[in-house]
This record gives sequence, C-alpha cells and structure tokens, in this order.
Amino acid sequence: MDSTDLALRAEGICFAYRGEEWVLKDISLSVPRGKATMIMGPSGSGKTTLMKVLAGILCPQRGRLEALSQEVGKRTRRSLYSLIGYIPQQLGLVRNLTSLENVLMGALGRCGHGKVMLGLFPRHEVEQAQAALDLMGIGDKSSEKVFRLSGGQRQRVAIARTLLQRPRVVLADEFVSDLDLALAAEILRLMRQVAEREQMTFVANMHEPQLVREFADQVLILDHGQIVRRFPTDGSQERSPSEVLQ
Amino acid sequence: MRTDLFIMALVAVLLSIVLGQLGFFDAARLTKGLQNMGILTWEMLPPDASVLPVAGEALWETVQMSFAGTMLGFLVSLPLSVLGTRHLFSAPVSNLSRLIAAGIRTVPVLLWAILFVILVGLGPLAGTLGVAAYTVGYLAKIYAELFEGTDPEIVEAVRGTGASRLHLVRFVVLPEGANAILTQLLFMLEYNIRASSILGFVGAGGVGFVMQVYLQTLEYRRLATVLLLILVVVLIMDGLSAWMRRRFLLTPQS
Ligand SMILES: Nc1ncnc2c1ncn2[C@@H]1O[C@H](COP(=O)(O)OP(=O)(O)OP(=O)(O)O)[C@@H](O)[C@H]1O
Ligand SMILES: [Mg+2]
Repeated sequence: MDSTDLALRAEGICFAYRGEEWVLKDISLSVPRGKATMIMGPSGSGKTTLMKVLAGILCPQRGRLEALSQEVGKRTRRSLYSLIGYIPQQLGLVRNLTSLENVLMGALGRCGHGKVMLGLFPRHEVEQAQAALDLMGIGDKSSEKVFRLSGGQRQRVAIARTLLQRPRVVLADEFVSDLDLALAAEILRLMRQVAEREQMTFVANMHEPQLVREFADQVLILDHGQIVRRFPTDGSQERSPSEVLQ
Repeated sequence: MRTDLFIMALVAVLLSIVLGQLGFFDAARLTKGLQNMGILTWEMLPPDASVLPVAGEALWETVQMSFAGTMLGFLVSLPLSVLGTRHLFSAPVSNLSRLIAAGIRTVPVLLWAILFVILVGLGPLAGTLGVAAYTVGYLAKIYAELFEGTDPEIVEAVRGTGASRLHLVRFVVLPEGANAILTQLLFMLEYNIRASSILGFVGAGGVGFVMQVYLQTLEYRRLATVLLLILVVVLIMDGLSAWMRRRFLLTPQS
C-alpha cells in the first residue's frame, strides 16, 4: 500500500510508563485513510495506552509514528493536534460547562483569543455545535451542565465535540460503551456517513463483537501489549473480520 | 501495624517533652493563670455599650479593608497561580512563580502592614495592601496546587482539539476548579476579617486601634463590646459564605 493512502503508520512502537515494564511491545500497524480500524483486547492489554500514543499524547520510547504522512515528533505534534480528534475513555468533558460549550471546545483550534475568551463564539460555530448535538439526538440538552447528564448522553456530547473539530482522523477509546446496542449502532452509522463524506479515518477501541463485525474494515487484537492477530491479514483477503469473529 | 503504633508512641513522647519545655507542667503557674482568667472575665462584665458607635465604625473599616484586600489579592493570585501550574508552563516559569508566592508567604500579615505603613503612611490603605499581599501568597499556592490537580484526561482531550494554553486555562482549568476557587476565596475572606482586626495595632487602620487603646487603659468592659461585635461580624460572614456555597456550588462531588 502506498504510504500516502495511510492515515497512521506505526513501526516498532514500544512504550512504558515511567520506570515500569513495557506496556506496548513492538507495535506495528497501518491505518488506511477513510477506513474504520477497530482494536479489541482484554482489559489491561494496553488499548488506551496505544490510543494515547497514536494521538500524540504519550511519546513512545522506541519506534516511529507517522500521521497523515508526517513524522510525529516533539515538534510536529502540536500542528497535528487539530487534524486528529481524540475521545478519551473517560471522555474528558469539562463537567462545569454546558453540553453546547463542551461541543464548542472542538472549534477552539480555529477561534483565536478574541471574544472567545469571554465565552462568545462565532455564530456559525454555535449553530454547527447545536446541529452536532441534534445529530446525536440530544439537542434538547444543549444548555444542561455536563455533570447532570447520563453516561450515554455524555458520550454523545464527546462525539459531537469531535465532529465540530472536523479532524482528518478520529481516535476513540470505548466511546459507545455506555450506549445500548441499537443506539451505539445508530451512532456508528452516523459516524460512517460523516467519514465517507469527508474522507475521515476512524480508529476505535471496542468491546462489542457485533459492532466490530458490522463496522470495522480492519480489526486488530491486542494482548499483553502486542498485536496478536489482525483481520484482514495483510494482503490476503480470504478471511473477512466477520468470518473470524464468531 | 506495629510501625504505626511505634510512630504514634514516638509522637506522644515528643509532644510531652515539648509541652514540658514550654512550661505546661508548671502547676503553680497554671493555677495562677486560671485565677487571672476569672478576674479578667469578671472585669469584662457587663460589656460597655456606650462605645458601640465608635467600635462599630472602626470595625466597618476593618471589614472594608478585608474585603478590598482579599479581592485585590485574589485578582493577583489567579495569574500568578496559573503561571505556577507545572502542567501548563515550563519548569523555569512555574518555579519562579512559586518562588515569588513563597517569598510573599514568608512575611506575616502584621509585618506586611508595618511595611506598607512605612511606604504609604498610617491608615486603612496600608492595612488593605497588607491584607492583599498576604492573600496573594496564600491563594497563589493553594490555587497552583488546585490547577495542577485538574484531571489530565480533560486537559488532553481539549488540548487535542488544537486549543491553546490560554484556551485551556479559560475553558478547562478555571471551570473545573470553580468550586474550590470560590470555597478558598470565601475562606480567605473570613480569615482576613478575623486576622485584620489586629492590623490597627501597628497603625494600619481598622478596629485594632480601638482595641489597643482599651487594652492599654485597662477598659476591659469596652474591650468586651468590641470583641462581641467582631463575633457578630464573623458569624454573619460564616452565614453569608455558607449561603454562597449553597447558591453557587452545583457540581456534585464526583
Ligand atoms: N498512567 C499509568 N501509569 C502507569 N501504568 C499505567 C497507566 N495507565 C495504564 N497503566 C498500565 O498499563 C497497562 C495497560 O493499560 P491500558 O489502560 O492501556 O489498558 P486497556 O487495554 O485500555 O484496559 P481497559 O480495557 O480496562 O480500558 C495496565 O497494566 C495498566 O496498569
Ligand atoms: Mg482502556
């Protein structure tokens, strides 16, 4: 595969938290542009850590990481931030702000330091933030403070924030785990539409085999910090993800 | 478990040695002290209400000084503590800011008042500046630690949208810390009202001057009136801040 067709490319990534043993051991992966890659694995296998490395939040001790054909290093990390959307496992919403304000955080990268610092966002951004909440089915909660929302509603606020950011790549850490299967599938379907329309790449950690089967173009299975299986296997397409995940 | 017990025993032994050195086991002195306390209390009764207008006016000045000083100190401590937050600023910047705050904190409030009396002359202006300086030292430390404790996942998530450091302060650090910021500010205001009643002793304005006069002329019944008046103000402040907390602190502890 030509490397310009790749949204993310990792080679030989090793990562350890300060002074502890390796959490990621020699991870190599390619994420094709505009496709959905899903990562599965038991609790503690390093999914969140891998996601943070891919998002440029954690710096791996070994290996190379390329995002959108750019080498990710100390200096280039900042310029990539607005191109890569990241939804953490605990969502990272500001609890004391309203849903709408939290969604508007997605627009900060293009808003400067004028009126925004007074909490006054440009009107078109506010309209789009409201539209994103509407799309997630929680438009009526826009002026509710986040700490009053349910777990599933919070997840949808976090997704709306990422949509407003309009990134080229979305990295999502278990971002539909608090939604029931039907709603999770509906949200994923929406994400797929957006992804197709805007050539957006999508990487997510996911527990639910049914959702993975329906939405993944590529599946990586992580165990003890290593990728132990990947579907479809490089090159050969003989076994699709749905065949392997029983 | 055994080490816990050992440490507790050690502390107990240490405490009794220190108390002994400070004269706490001198029975004769302590009984004399108790007797004197009885006499003093007796001489304070009944409080002399005729000084209410004078004391009230002086106390009002103290309240004004504490309020203005606390708010000025608060406004300076916010940027200082943001600069002292290690997650947001490099080590040289945050260390310098923390050093400044620690330096300010080293000087007790009474000494600040004396310094400002020398700089701007006698009166409440010196007292207000003294309260402000003390407040900066205290709040800058508390707030810097509070800001550093901001959930890193929220900072990461918002930074990941391309937000700048200034954005993070405005939209993550301050809103996440809002409850604690307000709680500490109210605590500081209460504390300053009590603490700044002493500032009049060094000519920095407020009710302290009146207290000093009554103490030196042995007019304990008048002094009692002043103390009761301070008690009333402190109680009102307690009630006010309790109401403020109920009114503005909405986030459940989570
Ligand atoms: N901040 C940290 N400091 C030190 N060790 C950590 C830290 N975060 C995670 N770990 C360790 O790294 C390993 C992988 O953790 P990680 O959070 O990546 O797992 P995960 O696959 O996301 O698990 P889950 O499915 O439960 O979310 C675990 O053994 C964990 O103890
Ligand atoms: Mg995880």
